[in-house]
Amino acid sequence: MLDQIVVAPFREMIAAPDFLMQVLWEGIVSGILYALIALGFVLIFRSSRIFNFAQGIMVVFAALTLVGLYELGVPAWLCVLLTLAVMLILALAIERVVLRPLVGQPDVILFMATIGVTLFLVGMGEFVFGGENKVMITEQLGIPTGSWALEPFGGLLILEQKDVAVAVMAALLVVGLLLFLNRTRTGRAIRALGDDSQAALSLGISLHTIWVLVWFIAGIIALVTGIAWGSRAGVSFALEVIAYKALPVLMLGGLESITGAIVGGLLIGVLEKVFDIYWGQPLMGGSTETWFAFVLALIVLLIRPQGLFGEKIIERV
Amino acid sequence: MLFRTGGQFKTSYKEDIALFPVRQDAILLGVVLVLAWIVFPLTASEFVFQTLLIPILIYALAALGLNLLIGYTGQFSLGTGAFMGVGAFACYKMVTLMPWMNPIVAVLLSGVFSAGVGVVFGIPSLRIKGFYLAISTLAAQFFLVWIFEKWSWLYNDNLSGAIEVPNLTAFGVVVTAPRADSVMTYYVILAIATLITWLVMNLTRGALGRSWKATRDMDFAAELIGINLMKSKLTAFALSSYIVGVAGALFVFMWRGAAEPALFDIPLSFRILYIVIIGGLGSIMGNYLGAVLIVGLPVILGTVPEALGLEIASARIEQINLMIIGALIVFFLIVEPHGLARLWELIREKLIRWPFPH
Amino acid sequence: MTSKGKLVAAALAAMLTAQLPGAAAAQELKISNFSYRTGPFAATGIPLTNGLMDYFTLLNERDGGIGGVKIDFAECETGYNAEKGIECYEKNKGDSIAVMPWSTGITLQLLPKTNEDRVPIILPGGGNSAMADGKVFQWVFNGPDSYWDAASMMLQSVGGKDLSGLKGKKVGFLYLDIPFGREPIPFIEAKAKEVGFELVLVPVGIKEMQNQSTQWLQIRRERPDYVLMWSWGAMNAAAVNEAIKTRFPIDRLVGTYWSAIDDDLQMAGDAGKGFRAISFTAPKPDAPVLAEVQKHVVDTGKSLSTEDQRAETLYQRGLAVSMMISQGIRAAQEHFGTSEINAEQMRWGMENIDITEAILEEAGMGGMLPPFKTSCTDHLGHSGGWILTWDGNRFQQSEELFHAERDAIAKMEEEGAAAYAEANAPWPVQTCDG
Repeated sequence: MLDQIVVAPFREMIAAPDFLMQVLWEGIVSGILYALIALGFVLIFRSSRIFNFAQGIMVVFAALTLVGLYELGVPAWLCVLLTLAVMLILALAIERVVLRPLVGQPDVILFMATIGVTLFLVGMGEFVFGGENKVMITEQLGIPTGSWALEPFGGLLILEQKDVAVAVMAALLVVGLLLFLNRTRTGRAIRALGDDSQAALSLGISLHTIWVLVWFIAGIIALVTGIAWGSRAGVSFALEVIAYKALPVLMLGGLESITGAIVGGLLIGVLEKVFDIYWGQPLMGGSTETWFAFVLALIVLLIRPQGLFGEKIIERV
Repeated sequence: MLFRTGGQFKTSYKEDIALFPVRQDAILLGVVLVLAWIVFPLTASEFVFQTLLIPILIYALAALGLNLLIGYTGQFSLGTGAFMGVGAFACYKMVTLMPWMNPIVAVLLSGVFSAGVGVVFGIPSLRIKGFYLAISTLAAQFFLVWIFEKWSWLYNDNLSGAIEVPNLTAFGVVVTAPRADSVMTYYVILAIATLITWLVMNLTRGALGRSWKATRDMDFAAELIGINLMKSKLTAFALSSYIVGVAGALFVFMWRGAAEPALFDIPLSFRILYIVIIGGLGSIMGNYLGAVLIVGLPVILGTVPEALGLEIASARIEQINLMIIGALIVFFLIVEPHGLARLWELIREKLIRWPFPH
Repeated sequence: MTSKGKLVAAALAAMLTAQLPGAAAAQELKISNFSYRTGPFAATGIPLTNGLMDYFTLLNERDGGIGGVKIDFAECETGYNAEKGIECYEKNKGDSIAVMPWSTGITLQLLPKTNEDRVPIILPGGGNSAMADGKVFQWVFNGPDSYWDAASMMLQSVGGKDLSGLKGKKVGFLYLDIPFGREPIPFIEAKAKEVGFELVLVPVGIKEMQNQSTQWLQIRRERPDYVLMWSWGAMNAAAVNEAIKTRFPIDRLVGTYWSAIDDDLQMAGDAGKGFRAISFTAPKPDAPVLAEVQKHVVDTGKSLSTEDQRAETLYQRGLAVSMMISQGIRAAQEHFGTSEINAEQMRWGMENIDITEAILEEAGMGGMLPPFKTSCTDHLGHSGGWILTWDGNRFQQSEELFHAERDAIAKMEEEGAAAYAEANAPWPVQTCDG
C-alpha cells in the first residue's frame, strides 16, 4: 500500500516521461483557463472590493453571444466587435442597476448581489440563445485547429495548435493588462481606487467610470476565456462549472494579486492533473479533480491564511 | 389598528425582553400555527402537499440551519447541500443496518453525524475568514459529494449509486416517502420543524446566541470581552449542520423517496442560500418567508398563467423563473438587505403606529 | 396588505382553487412529457422532444388523433432536475394516461408511487434494465431496449456475436458517473469475467463532462483495444473531441443510444468519421413519415423543429417513440372498445404493443425501427438495434440488426426485479397468464 502511494507513481513518471509531459501540458492548458477566470475576479476585487461571483457566467454569456451572432449570419470579426459591445452594455447595466445603489454596503451584500446577477444571466442566456450545446467558431476566428506530434524520449507528445494559440492569447492579454494598469493614467486610477478608494475619490477619480471600465475589462477577459474553453468543449451552460475552479485559485493566489492568479491557476491546473492521473485514478476511483483544488487550497490557507501571494491581513478593532 | 399596543405595559425588564413583547405577535403566530397544523392539512390537495407545503417546510428548516451560521455567527458557508447529504446518507445507513429503528428517531439522530462532519469542516473558520472561508466550505461541498459517489458502502452497493427509501413504519403507520400518506409525512415534518424552530428561537436569545452575534459583529472585539471564539464558532457549525442534516434526512425520507449523490451538489446549496438571502439574514421567520417565495414562485409561474389561459412553453417558464429570482435577489439587496423578514417588520411597525405615522 | 401582497395572495388563491388534477379536458388523451429543453442536457432534449411532439401533432392534424380522439401532448419542463420531476408528476398524474419522465433519477422517485397512482410511466431506452420485468414493474415501460441490451449489443459490435473477439483484449468503459452511466456496469463486468477480457472503468463526473482530458489521459495510459462510451448531453462532443485529440482510433469508440447525436459529431466533422453508436432507431431522412410531417406539421407552422434537426437521428427517434406509444393507445382502444381510454387501460395497451413490418410501412417508418412486441412479462420488447456510423456528415445505419444476449440478461432482470421488490416490501407483483 505504502509502495503504491509513495513509490509507484514516481516510478511510472520516470518510466513514461512522454506521458508525464503530456499530463503536465494538459495541466498547463487548463491552468491557463483557471488563471484567466481568476484574473477577472482579481481585477474587479482590486478596484471595488467586490467578489464577483458572476465572472464564470460572464464567460458563458460572452461565448454564447459570439456564437449566437455568428449563427445569425454576421461575419466572424464583426461578431467579436459586437460581443465586446454587448459586454460593455452589460458592464454599464450592472454598474447602473446593481452596483451604484449598493455603494458602501458590506462586502458580503455585494457578493450576494453578484450571485443574483449570475442567476439572472443564466436565465436570460437560455432565454435568448436556447440551451443547446453550440460549436465555437474556432476556425472562423483564425485559430488553427491542427495538432503537432512531438516525440520526446521516443514517446508521443501531442500539442493542439489551438491550445498553443490560447496560451499565446492569454499571455498577450496579461501583458496588455499589466501595461494598461501600470503605464496608463486610467490604469493607475484603477489601482489607486483599490488601494484607497476615499483618497482616490478625493483626487477626482470617478468611481462610476472606473467600475464600468473594470467590468468591461473583466468582460473582455471573459470573452477570451470563453473562446478558449469553447474551442475545446463547445459552448453551453455546463461550462459554468469551470468557474468554480477559479475559486481555489483565488484562495491560493490571494484575492488581490494578479501574479497570484496566474501562478495559482497554473499550479492548480498542473497539480490536480498530476494528482488525479498518478494517485486519484489508481487508488481512489478517479474524479478527484472535482475537489482536489479546493482541499489543496484549504490546506495551504490553514498554514498561510492570506494565501501564497496575498498581503498580510492586519485586523484592527 | 390591528397592532395597537395601547394598554400593553411592561413593568419589568424581563417582560420587555419576552419573546413576544407585543401581544398581537403571539396571536399572529397562533394563527399561523393553526393554519399550518389544522387548516392546511385539511384542505390541501396532494399536489399542494407535494409541491408546496412539504418542500417549503424542509427548505425552510435547511435555511434555518444555514442562517444560524451566516446570519447569526457571520460564517459564510456554501456547503449546505453536502451537509444535507450527510444527514440523508447517515439516515439511510441507520435504517438499513437497524431496520427496527423508529424512522423519526433515525431522522433526528442523522443530524448528529452531519454535526460531526460540520465541526470538522468548521475548524478552518478559526483561522480563515470572509470570502476565503466561503470558498473553503466549497471544499466540503465537493469532497463530500465525491465521497457519496465513490463510497459504495454508503448506498449499500445499489447498482444506480442511489439511495432508495424502504417502507418504514413508526407506531404502526408508514411514515416514509413515497409510500406514506402525504398528510402523515407533512405532520412528521411539521412537528420536527416546529420543535427545532422553537429551540432555535430560544437559543439565539440566550448566552450562546449572544456569543454568536458578538462573533458575527466583530470577532476580535468579542474575543476581547471574553467570548471563547473557538467555542462560539464550532457550536454554531455543529448546530447549524445538525439542523441542515435533519433537513437533509427529511428531504429524502419524507419527500423525495430516492436520491442520487448529484442531488446534494452545489445547486442545492445555492438554493438554500437564496432562501436565506431573500428571507433575511439573522431572522428566523425569514427562512420560512424565503422558502415560500423560492419554492412557491416556480409553481405559481407554472400554474397561474395556465389557469388564466395563457400558453407559455414550460422551458420558457424555467428561464423566466431564474431571471425573476436573480432580479429579486438584487432587488432585495438594494431595497432591503435584510430580506422579507425586515419587510414584514416595517409593515408591522407601520401597523403599530397606524393611523398616526409619527 | 400592500398591493404586491394582494397580488401574491390572489395568485395563491387562484392556484389553490384551480382544479389541478382531474380537470380533464374533454375528448383528449393527455400524455405528459417531462422535457429538458434547458440545462446541461438540452442538446439531447430539444431535438428528441421536438420529434415526439411533431408525431402526435401529425396524428392530430392528419387523422384527427387516434381513434377519433386527439392527443394532448403536454410538456412539463424539468431541465433534468429531479425536483421538478416531482412537481410535474403531481401536477399531471391526475388526468394523464401516461407520463414520460425521461430520467432514471425521476423514475426512481416515482416508482413506488405507481402502484397507488396507477399511471403508466413510459421511459424509452432508459431507466433500470430490470424494469423490463413486467410482473414486478407493472407500471413502467422502458422499451424497446434496455441499457443492458445496449451494452450487450455494443460488445457484440466489437467482439462478434459470441464476443470471442474480445478474449484477452482490454475494453475501456467511459461513462457518465450518474445512475444512467452506472447501469450497464454489472452486465459488462459479468461478461468480462465470462469471456475473459479486461475491463477498465473510466468515470466522468457530471461536473467534468466538458473537460475530459484527465479521462482521456487515463485511456491513453491504459491503451484499451476498444472504448465503450456511455455518454449524453454535453459529454458527447467533449469525448469525441478528446478521442480525436489523443489520437485514439475513432472507429474503436462505440457509444450508447444517446451518444448518436448529430450536432455533437458535427463539431468533429470528418475527423469523427468511423465513430459508432448503437441505436434502436435508424435515421431515414427520406422516410415517408418525414414528408407527412413536413406537409401537416411544419408547413402549417406547428413544429418547433428546424430543417437540420429533422434529418437527425434524435429527432427521428422522437417520431419513432411516439409511434410506439400510439400503437399502445390503439391496442388499448381496440381491446376495450372505447376511444377514450384511461390510464389503467393504457397500461394494458402498452403491454400489448405489436409493431410489425406492415404497421411500420403504414406509418411511413419502414426500417426506422425493428419490429417488436411487448407482453405482460416483457415490458420492453427487446427489439434489437443497429450500429450507426458517422460518415463525416450523417449517421449511417449498419446492415446487420443486433440482438442482445437474452438469456443472460433475462436472468439478471429477474434477479434485479426480485431484489427491488424485496427491498420495497410489501410490493405488489402481478401474475401473467401463459
